[in-house]
Parts: sequence; C-alpha cells; structure tokens
Amino acid sequence: MDRLECQWCHAQNPADARSCEHCGAPLDKANLVSDSGWREAPRLRDMAKFQFSNSTCQVEGELVPVAEINLSPGDGVIFEHHTMLWKDESVPVGVYPLGGGLKRSLAGMPYVVTQAGGPGRIAFSRDAAGEIVTLLLHPSMEIDAREHAFLAASHSVRYSFERIKGLANILHGGSGMYLDRFVTSGEPGIVLLHGYGNVFERTLGAGEKILVEPGGFLYKDSSVTMQAVQLNVRTGLIRHGMYVAEMTGPGRVGIQSMYHHHASE
Amino acid sequence: MTTVASGPAHTGYTCRYCRLPSDATGTYCPNCGAPVDVKATVSDSGWVEQPAVRDMAKIQFGQSYCQVEGTLVPSSDFALAPDDGVVFSHHTLLWVGPGTHLEPWSKGSFFNRSFAGMPLVLMRASGPGHVALSEDHPGEVVALPIPAGRGFLVREHSFLAATDNIDFTWLNSPVWLRVQKGNDTEYEYPIGPYIDHFNCGQSHGLLLLHCPGNLFVRDLAPGQSILIQPGSWVYSDTSVNFSLHAEYPASGGLRWGSFEYRTIWMRLTGPGRVAVRSIFEKPERHPGLVGSSGMTHQRW
Repeated sequence: MDRLECQWCHAQNPADARSCEHCGAPLDKANLVSDSGWREAPRLRDMAKFQFSNSTCQVEGELVPVAEINLSPGDGVIFEHHTMLWKDESVPVGVYPLGGGLKRSLAGMPYVVTQAGGPGRIAFSRDAAGEIVTLLLHPSMEIDAREHAFLAASHSVRYSFERIKGLANILHGGSGMYLDRFVTSGEPGIVLLHGYGNVFERTLGAGEKILVEPGGFLYKDSSVTMQAVQLNVRTGLIRHGMYVAEMTGPGRVGIQSMYHHHASE
Repeated sequence: MTTVASGPAHTGYTCRYCRLPSDATGTYCPNCGAPVDVKATVSDSGWVEQPAVRDMAKIQFGQSYCQVEGTLVPSSDFALAPDDGVVFSHHTLLWVGPGTHLEPWSKGSFFNRSFAGMPLVLMRASGPGHVALSEDHPGEVVALPIPAGRGFLVREHSFLAATDNIDFTWLNSPVWLRVQKGNDTEYEYPIGPYIDHFNCGQSHGLLLLHCPGNLFVRDLAPGQSILIQPGSWVYSDTSVNFSLHAEYPASGGLRWGSFEYRTIWMRLTGPGRVAVRSIFEKPERHPGLVGSSGMTHQRW
C-alpha cells in the first residue's frame, strides 16, 4: 500500500490522507520555501485532527487557533495554566513535578507547570493572532523553545528549563533568563507551540549562522547555539549598537514574524 | 544606491493596484505582488479591497527583489544585489544574513524626529545579502511602486521599508485640534503630529507599508470628498487635501449632551488616491474644543 510522507514531521500517512495523522500538516499543499531558505510552517487546516499516543488533538480556528485535546485514559498533557481555554469538569489537573520553583518565579515564568490526564477533553489557546506549530519529537530528541510560547506537550515529553548563560544573553537575548526544554527518551512525543504571526523554520548546517531579532526567536534544536551579539549600528542619539541573536547550526531554528513582546511575557 | 529602470516593458497588462504596466504571465504583479488572477473586490460604495500580496510573491526592484512570506503577519525578505539598498527602522528587523551590510541612515533633524516619536536613526541594508523585516500587528504588506516625480503622503509608523533612492521627509500634520484640559490648552493630532512624505526624483522607487487589518483604496475625482475616521487613514496621493468635520447627532435640544456624542471626521478631498485600513485607532474625546486647523460642523 502506498504511503505518503509528511514533509513537516516526516511521519508516514495513508495515501488518501489530506492532513498528517501525526502533526496535522496539510498533505495536499506544496511546501512554501523562500529563496533564502526559510520554510513556512504549515498552516493547520481548520478542524484538522491528529493523534498522539491514544489521544487526539483537533485544531480549531485560523486567526487564534485552539488546540482541543481529547485525552484517552492513561494519557496526559502538560501546559502552563494560562493557556487553558476550557476543559471537561471531570478532567483532573495537577502540578507537574518540577524543581527550581524559586528560580522560575524569579525569572517571571509560571511557578508551576500544570498537567491534565484523561479521559476527557481540554483545550488551549493563546492571546494573539498566530499559528500552532506541532513539533513531533522522536525518541531521544531535545528542543528548546522561547519561554511562554509552549501551548501543551504530551505526557511522554519531559519538560525542564535551561538557564541562558551569559549576562549579555540574558539582558539582550530577548528570551528572558530561561528557555523551555522538551526532551523525549524512550517514546515519541509532541509539543504544541503558539507562534505570533507566521512561523518560519530553517535548518542550519554545522557552523552555519543566521542573525535573528531576539524577539523573533521561537524554537530551536538543542544542538543550535544562541548567542546575543551586538551589531555596530547606532540606533539612537546615545545608545550604540543593537543586539541580535546569532544562531549557529547544526539544527533547526524557528522564528515568528510578529515579535512584539506581549504583556503576558 | 538602488537604481530602478524607468518601469517595466508594457505588455498590455496594467495592474489595477499599483497602476504600472507589467508582464501578466505570472500569477502576481512583479511590481507590487498583487495577484493578477483574481477579480477586483469593489464595494458598492466604490472602495477597492487591496488583495493581500500572495504568499512567497517576489516584488522586483532594481537588480533585487523582495519576497513576501506569510499571510497573518507577513515578513518581507529582501534579496539585495550589490549596490542595492533598502532603508527601514531598526525595530522591524526580523533577521539578517551574515554578509549583509547594515549602516545608519539619517535624514533631517534628530530633535524633530525625536519629538515626533519617530526612530532617531533609520538603518540601511545593502547587498549582496538578505534582510527580512516584519511588524507587530496582523495585517498586510502594501507595496507601492513610486514612479519618478511622484510621491505619497503616509500615516506615520506605517512605513516598513523603502528603496534608498526614495526621498523620505515628513510634514506637519495638516489637521489638528486645540482642546481645553484643566487650565491648559493642548494640541491633539487625529492622524499624528507628522505625516511621512515619500517622493521619487529621477528614478522609480519602491515603498513598503505595513497595514494592520485590511486595506481599501479609492480614487477621488477633483473636488470629490469623503469622510473617514482619522485613525483609519493610511496613505494618499500628494494632491489630496485634508480637513476636519464635526458632526453632532440630534440630542433633543440638549446642546450640552451633543458634545459627548460628537464625531470628528477627516474629510479627504480629491483629486487623488486614498487608502484606509480596517483597524483604526480609537478616536479621542475632545470635550473642550477651543480651536482647530479648520473644521466644518453639522448639527443634526
């Protein structure tokens, strides 16, 4: 039987599928890649549905999409509580075991990360126009995401946070003091991010660099290093130089086109 | 300095949005990115909806081009040829290729720019290399090719980028109000204290604006006027005149109450092209109006 490979997550799908069963990306639309090499993240079709473990996620809406997750018994999701839009009353929620509460609090991140378990439905959304990016994590993968960009992750994903090293990176890197880190070990998992505006991804070769507005950074493979560098360009009467994030490969880098720092950040 | 040829060869197709002739063999206009294979969307009242630049469309200028990527908050990705350059405000920079040369580009008085709330220093990116810009509101990128000798008046802070051969200055706002606040009077500016003026001298140029929401365009005949919310104005030809108009709904004889419900419009009078956006700033209330740049009144 013919199979169709998803160009976003590379999972195999039945030949007649319109959307990827593993990440929701449309399978009947060509990739949109700019001449400079940025690939537009696939816009999930309204009401597209995909599966993780024994649960399903349906993406609803296009301007500020909602991720509605139907959890099976034994499955769960982790999330920051402010992204929760609605849930079935019967869905239990609890605190995701996580160290470093004081550090998180000092860094302006939620003191606790919440987890919910099946059976039942729970839905998530964010506070500005944008798109949901589904990142399928194969076993033993690590990705880093801008803090607060994370909408939800499946229970098989281990969530932690990584302190950004270097004062210049903290002060000028545009991502705060910490990056969210998502790690899979034996099982695959899925991470849902909400990018403001449109989301673009580019794969950097080993040693390849790109300079990104710090507020535009959304996610990266943990193999990609991020360093705040100052451009020698004057931007005002007194202030000299502007900082950009220098991303160095190998690995994927995701950016968002609307990089305004919202009040929730 | 970017040099743009004196317009593309005429092949029988003229883009209804940028008004320039072009090769119609593609799916979008190479001068402004507007799709060529869609019908014009025109309201019964005569507003033409500016179609969004097609995702991944390339707008040609000089030896360079700009690829517009995305649809919600589009990013403008410039592939700059050697000696070509674009000017922009540094806060719109999304990413830049390592080889692209960035330098400050300054015009006019620092003091005036600072007073106007405009960036003190603009940046110029020159090729060879890539630079990408985006704004922070869902909306549309509007590409306005400017023929030699022509210009546009543009709402401040709408500017995304321009080729470096365009002359960029600003003018005092033609419309203002003087209002009483306590014991003082203050000036208020329905379209901002300044408006940007982009003008092309000897060669063609390309101006890119970012418009929150949707954009609607219409051509006013000589003497024809239209009332718009001041906060919705985006750009117009330099031939268009601006004035204010206050409208007081009927309030059963309670004249004091009518001030609360007064609407202050901006009247645009042709000839020329005008453009408005569907997201506009909430108008301020002016209970103690003591003067203006010139205003007509209508009491219903």
